[in-house]
Amino acid sequence: MIAAVLADISQSDLLRSLVSGFALGCKYALVALGFVIVFKATGVINFAQASFVLVGGYLTFNASETWGLNFYLALLVAMAGGAAIGMLLEALVLRRMIGEAPFTLVMVTIGVLFIIDNVVTAIWGPDPKNLGDPWGLNVRTVGDVAIADRDIWTIVFTSAVLGAFFLFFRYSSLGLAMRATALDQEAAMAQGISARVVYRVSWGIAGLVAALAGAVLSAGSAALGPTVGLIALVAFPAMILGGLDSPLGAVVGGVIIGIVQQMTALLAPEYLEWAGQGFELVSPYLVMIVILLVRPYGLFGTKEVRRV
Amino acid sequence: MAALSGLSGLTAFVRRAPAGGSPHRNLVLDYADDLKLFRGPWRKLGLGLLIFLYLWAPGYFSNYVLGVLTICGVYAVGVIGLNLLTGYAGQVSLGHAFFFGAGGYAAAYLGAQRDWPMLLFLPAAALIGFVVGAVVGPFALRLRGNYLVIVTLGLVFLGEHIWKTWDSVTGGGSGTSLRGASVSIGGLDFRELEIAGSSYEKEQGMFWLVWAIVAIVALLAKNLVRSRAGRAMQAVRDRDLSAEVIGVNLARYKVGAFAWSSALAALSGALYGIVTNRLETGIFTLFLSITFVAMLIIGGVGTIFGSILGALLVSGGQQLIARNSSAFVFDPIIIASPGDSGFLSIGEFNNILFGLFIVVFLMFEPRGLAALWLRAKAWLLTWPFSY
Amino acid sequence: MKRHTWSRPLALALALALTAAACGGDDDDSAETDDSGTSAETGGELATVPGFDGTTIKLGVITPTSGPVALIGEPLTAGNKAYFDYVNTELGGIDGKYKIELDIRDSGYDPTKAGQEYASVKENTVMIAQLLGTPIVNAILEQLIDDEVVAAPASLDSFWVREPNLLPIGGPYQIQAINALNWYVTEGEGEGKKVCSLIQDDPYGEAGQAGLDFAAEELEIQLGVTARFPVGATADAFTAPIGQLQGDGCEMVFLVSTPSATGAALGEAVKAQFAPQWIGQSPSWIGALGASPLAPYLQANFLVASEGVEYGDTSVEGMAELVRIKDTYAASQQPDVYFNFGYLQAKAVTALLEKAVELSDLSHEGVLRALEELETLTFDGLSGDYTYGPADERVPPTKSTIFKVDPANPTGLSLLERDIEAPFAKDFEFTRVDE
Repeated sequence: MIAAVLADISQSDLLRSLVSGFALGCKYALVALGFVIVFKATGVINFAQASFVLVGGYLTFNASETWGLNFYLALLVAMAGGAAIGMLLEALVLRRMIGEAPFTLVMVTIGVLFIIDNVVTAIWGPDPKNLGDPWGLNVRTVGDVAIADRDIWTIVFTSAVLGAFFLFFRYSSLGLAMRATALDQEAAMAQGISARVVYRVSWGIAGLVAALAGAVLSAGSAALGPTVGLIALVAFPAMILGGLDSPLGAVVGGVIIGIVQQMTALLAPEYLEWAGQGFELVSPYLVMIVILLVRPYGLFGTKEVRRV
Repeated sequence: MAALSGLSGLTAFVRRAPAGGSPHRNLVLDYADDLKLFRGPWRKLGLGLLIFLYLWAPGYFSNYVLGVLTICGVYAVGVIGLNLLTGYAGQVSLGHAFFFGAGGYAAAYLGAQRDWPMLLFLPAAALIGFVVGAVVGPFALRLRGNYLVIVTLGLVFLGEHIWKTWDSVTGGGSGTSLRGASVSIGGLDFRELEIAGSSYEKEQGMFWLVWAIVAIVALLAKNLVRSRAGRAMQAVRDRDLSAEVIGVNLARYKVGAFAWSSALAALSGALYGIVTNRLETGIFTLFLSITFVAMLIIGGVGTIFGSILGALLVSGGQQLIARNSSAFVFDPIIIASPGDSGFLSIGEFNNILFGLFIVVFLMFEPRGLAALWLRAKAWLLTWPFSY
Repeated sequence: MKRHTWSRPLALALALALTAAACGGDDDDSAETDDSGTSAETGGELATVPGFDGTTIKLGVITPTSGPVALIGEPLTAGNKAYFDYVNTELGGIDGKYKIELDIRDSGYDPTKAGQEYASVKENTVMIAQLLGTPIVNAILEQLIDDEVVAAPASLDSFWVREPNLLPIGGPYQIQAINALNWYVTEGEGEGKKVCSLIQDDPYGEAGQAGLDFAAEELEIQLGVTARFPVGATADAFTAPIGQLQGDGCEMVFLVSTPSATGAALGEAVKAQFAPQWIGQSPSWIGALGASPLAPYLQANFLVASEGVEYGDTSVEGMAELVRIKDTYAASQQPDVYFNFGYLQAKAVTALLEKAVELSDLSHEGVLRALEELETLTFDGLSGDYTYGPADERVPPTKSTIFKVDPANPTGLSLLERDIEAPFAKDFEFTRVDE
């Protein structure tokens, strides 16, 4: 069956879709990593991550185009700004909501999403902008496959963030404190770990990573607009697939979703015609539902132990 | 609940006390009292007032106000459904727009394409919603909390894809018309109502139709939640493991809550179709789901009349602002027309307010407007000893 | 439960309320007849109707002022406003005395929200001067018919031509596609080349494709593959469609997209080293593209099929006036194709209102009748003549203009060829939505 399918699709098409699926998956992963760190530390699914991404893109634009900073410097400014917004949100809102039901927390972050998104369009306007990134349309060709500079940077950033998370959780005292808090908040507090600091830092990191994602996503031609954050909706399946609290899971989940999506786009018009146009757009959700039925806590997620 | 059971312990004593008369306050004296829907003279008066308002409003208000109120009523049906699921059974869902769409398209197909009468296609739409909900429900058995939120969110996207793809029923991207669907019961056509020689306009007829259905649905929901099923649902909400231990069949009540809730969402979608006469894939988005949840939160989770309040406030309130956007309070804020003073467009202002309402209510009044009312009522009832 | 205790007040309430409701209805009717009676007596004066108080005409505008589509809604509304300001200030208003006022509502590009805004705005406006977006018009059309309200759609879908309640302007998307293909094959060095299309997967995309199919049949050429992409697609969504087009050996690709999708699609084409001749439908363009890294590629490979002339070409009468009015009433507005559309739309609305005043009826039904009696409108070279009248007999403009990319110009475009018209463009048959 697979051989029959592959016979019809040219090798280069297949390879191209695989590579672009991998790059796309890294974008999902970068967004999902921001979700995961907040969830791991505080148990909140942060829908406002989508607006953090948006703010990150616009801050980068503002620093590089309006203030005329070097692009990478602008990126650092945006990351600092993103972190500040994340921590501010924690201090103003989420701090007061500790211990509420998951759905309440989800809805609060949705409320915040509406506020931030509309403030962003009020400040920068709805028209698409050019980010001013140095990557432009540069393409590197490896054998048969072309890969854009900005995709290479996406992969670099995602790997770097994943590596940093790994080192942070394993070796830094704050990272250890976060792991301890996530495991058992009371026991961690008994050990003298401040849950306040842990929560605030995790929101800060989420804002920081989101700014990075925002910049990567708005690179290109007139690509920075109010819809940049919408990618977060597809990062959900990635995150769920990997398991809500696993950074490695987020990356693996992201890459799986990215590749599934690009392969569906390549193959569906020919083999799944009944499924309709644009089937690749919903394929992540289907994959997610199927995986959840088999493994309710995703591929790498921690199984919740429920005591009576 | 604790207070009520305490009171019923006193029953024997109170019964004897006023020797043939009735107690001076509207106390719950026995189980039958507890079950009454309209207990005491005040509630009956309130009911009378509501019925009066219902019949009188269409003659008093302009068609515009009626149109807004009718849409509020349509949403109220859906919010009551969501309340059964979230407020009573404690299961969360961002998938309401999907069920709403299923009902809407069912009405369009059965009513307009198959020419079914309204008394058939409305219940059929609800039934289809019920079945779809029962199919989705089992996910709630396997998944909890956050995982369930994301799966139901995925449902909305799958739904949008289905509506776009299934042209023969949904009309695909360009939508489908419900003009051909009959909106009449017997000889009463609600689009051009004639009773006893007076004729009424479409807005008046639809107001009566929709709010009658709201009333029926509210009564049914109220009935459901005070019955054994309702108590079982609340036990599941408060702690599903304990509920299971004391003998509540989890599968039955979780799936049941999904089914009933989506039946009402579907009914709401069907009503939306016959009120607006056209359905379009762009209606059934995540935003609609979020709006439903917002109405639920702002109105009050866990009370039926809160659901209706929420629908009125969220849907009606935005209208109020849009209509008065050039009023002087808003003048420094809203850009009512190009070149105006202000820094937010009307849409941005409304959206920010929408977000703020959700955040503020959840932070400071998680039980919504209904809780404000209940508190005021408790204060009045216990006066002069209210503190 | 003792039923009779409250059944009596209930019955009373019922009786009272029904009487009130019935009376209410009657009151409205008698009030209306009173009004027309008095106006007839005073003679010449226009009857006050919803949205018209005897001096000011209120018009509704339902447009996205939030969300991504606000980038179209805002300049378009500014175009409406600038023209009406000009009418109010320099012409004294409609018929020289009735000032125009806009009631602008946010649709958020969401059909439900737009529906609510419509319900709210229709009661105190004479007509809807702008209703933006194909899905929005689609969602509200049935209600317009019910209420006998006229709306001017800001969307070039061909279905609107035959709708009695709509006042469309400009050549529909199909016409743009027909003229573009005919021009490419006959004059644009495209003879014998393989023509394909890349379309958005929605009614807007289908509209462009329908025009292309029609022209291909008339020209007796075989079209190549039709690749599709979903609404709201980002760069990655174009890998497969671009691969499809490249694999089919396409030499010209007709692009039916919105600006952000254009940037994403062409970025992907550059990556794949795919450089056919692109011709984009008018909404595929926005000025920011001309300032993007894509500019060199666009200059070499991209054309836009639209209408009218280059911005600022004051040798054309209509453009000279547009520039003057923009500079006077909307000085801070950047030159923008959507501003121009809004301006022309307001011009058509003004003509319709003049007609309604001439027939001395500004009620919803009156405006609808006026639309039926409206004759040909000219847009002084900014858009072709539009023949109105009964919906079945309307003839939309059938001329288009091809623009090339020129980053030096404020809108990023400069004129390549004006007023092209396929000999068979007039043969395209327009139908209603559900036909």
